[in-house]
Amino acid sequence: MPKTIIDIRNISKVYKMGTQLVHALRDVSVSIEENEYVALMGPSGSGKSTLMNILGCLDTPSTGTYLFNGTNVNELNDNELAEIRNREIGFVFQTFNLLPRASALKNIELPLVYSGIKKYDRLDRAEAALKSVGLEDRMEHKPNELSGGQRQRVAIARALVTSPSIILADEPTGNLDTKTGNDIMKLFQNLWEKGNTIIIVTHEEEIALHAKRIIRLRDGLVETDEINQNQVTFN
Amino acid sequence: MLYEIKESIILSFDALRSNKLRAFLASLGVVIGISIVIMMGWLLGGLDKAMQDTFSVIGTDMLYVDKWDWTGGDKWDRLRNRKNVTMSQAEQLKELHGSAEYVIPNINQWATTIEFGGETYAGMTAVGTTAENVHTPVGNLLLGRFFNDFEEEYGSNVIVIGYLVYATIFQGKDPIGKTIKLNGRPLRVIGVVQKRGTMFFDFIDRQMFLPLKKYAGIWSIDKRSMSIGIKAGLNKDLDEVRNETIGLMRIIRNLKPNEPNDFSVNETKAFEKSIADIRFQVYTVGIGMTLLAFIVGIIGIMNIMFVTVTERTKEIGIRKSLGAKKRSIWIQFLVESSILCLLGAFLSLVICSIIAYLAATYLPTYFPEIGFLLPVLPTELFIIAAIVSVLVGLLAGLIPAIRASNLDPVEALRFD
Repeated sequence: MPKTIIDIRNISKVYKMGTQLVHALRDVSVSIEENEYVALMGPSGSGKSTLMNILGCLDTPSTGTYLFNGTNVNELNDNELAEIRNREIGFVFQTFNLLPRASALKNIELPLVYSGIKKYDRLDRAEAALKSVGLEDRMEHKPNELSGGQRQRVAIARALVTSPSIILADEPTGNLDTKTGNDIMKLFQNLWEKGNTIIIVTHEEEIALHAKRIIRLRDGLVETDEINQNQVTFN
Repeated sequence: MLYEIKESIILSFDALRSNKLRAFLASLGVVIGISIVIMMGWLLGGLDKAMQDTFSVIGTDMLYVDKWDWTGGDKWDRLRNRKNVTMSQAEQLKELHGSAEYVIPNINQWATTIEFGGETYAGMTAVGTTAENVHTPVGNLLLGRFFNDFEEEYGSNVIVIGYLVYATIFQGKDPIGKTIKLNGRPLRVIGVVQKRGTMFFDFIDRQMFLPLKKYAGIWSIDKRSMSIGIKAGLNKDLDEVRNETIGLMRIIRNLKPNEPNDFSVNETKAFEKSIADIRFQVYTVGIGMTLLAFIVGIIGIMNIMFVTVTERTKEIGIRKSLGAKKRSIWIQFLVESSILCLLGAFLSLVICSIIAYLAATYLPTYFPEIGFLLPVLPTELFIIAAIVSVLVGLLAGLIPAIRASNLDPVEALRFD
């Protein structure tokens, strides 16, 4: 039986906007197992970003429980959450979120710095990660010397370098043209085929179709959660 | 943790390099504050050195029985009415004194004239003394020798000249064996005293020493008050020697038990007081200014660090999403503000070194009384400046760093 990585039960998230309470998530339960390829879909305001932040341990739910690899995330303090983000979660963002003054290699090294890995080990692993996304000839380039697609590859390499339990990608193709976007989606497919667990947050149907399972959110509720029968794959 | 600090140092230099002017302006208050600390230390260092030099001129184991008081503690007109300290008193004191190593009478004649090589020189002081003066700081000779007991006994025509007398008259040529005329009397130069003058004693290098008997042959020794030098010897208790000196002088000068001393026993302590006064003034002014400058400096750095934290909100969000703990974030900003201040300290040291060098090299020409200035900053000031600046940086960076580390990662990532 495959291992359950993410298990959220009846979580809700309430924000206070001035005097008004905003229910971003209402009673959402989702379970994600190892080596799943999930698309989290929904229009803006559906709560998908909030859910992603909670899944990524950047935020905590107002009520409900979140078990990550069996650990109750609700009970963790800021530092313990940081450790989970560092070791278990690889983030890929729409705007890449690379440090502008650091080289590609330095950017990829950064999560390893925070997990206290030794220098020579870090370099080896960062180089290997960069190689796995096909950018071994761009190690010393700064983000502004790279194209959008290359930047996103660096970001993916950075997400991979700690060998996390899940890769959490928030609109990873949102800032890329169709062709480059496809290249990135192909990369995600490869990673999935190699055994990684991938969650992609998107509002584009086309992107979501690459995933094996699609969870649709609307108004803070899970609308549908089903296996994607028409999965689009690259050869 | 060590690696994080190292990494933060590299990052800080990057960040500061991309904002040079801003970094410079922000650290200006700290630069001024540290400069004041450095300049204060430099002045006090100079004063201490001047004090040490002065002590070695007078001799820390020396007492001087005088009509005059060095501290100026008593009213001048009261001192003027004191009876002179005479030669016979000096002889009695020497005879009776048990604890002193040497008792050496000195008598001064100011404003003498010297003739040598067809030129006339004015303004030198002739000192009639005994051969035992060789055991006081006067005995540290640059050239030749001091006069001996035999020459003292016979009042020989010999003279030991001070450094300025030598420099003025002989201008570096060998003076030993040359004959100069002191108020018309020919005297053979047998020695030159090392340069001793400091800010407190610039006259001291204009002295010339000749045997008392010879002095008495030129000037009357009864008209002027003497100064009796008493060398306690370095291993003696100075208090004991002072007490005996006072007791003996009271007997010799026939003072009744209820009468105050009509003489003064002078020693280096007199100068400790005046140096302590100057020190206190430098400290009060300096500490006031330093506090003010540091308050302004800390506010400046704190302000710029708040701006930096705001500018880098996104970066903080990214780092947090990658697993940076609070500690990593505040270390980064504390290191950055410390480095900002450390660079300020470096700038201060460069500026102050230049000022110190120029001031000590050129100013005493115009203002001889500040000849105590050191041309090089004392080494400990470099360490103090470094420590103080880092402390200021930590203090100024504390609140911005805590604010940065407490940023909500979701909010921070959304920031543009």
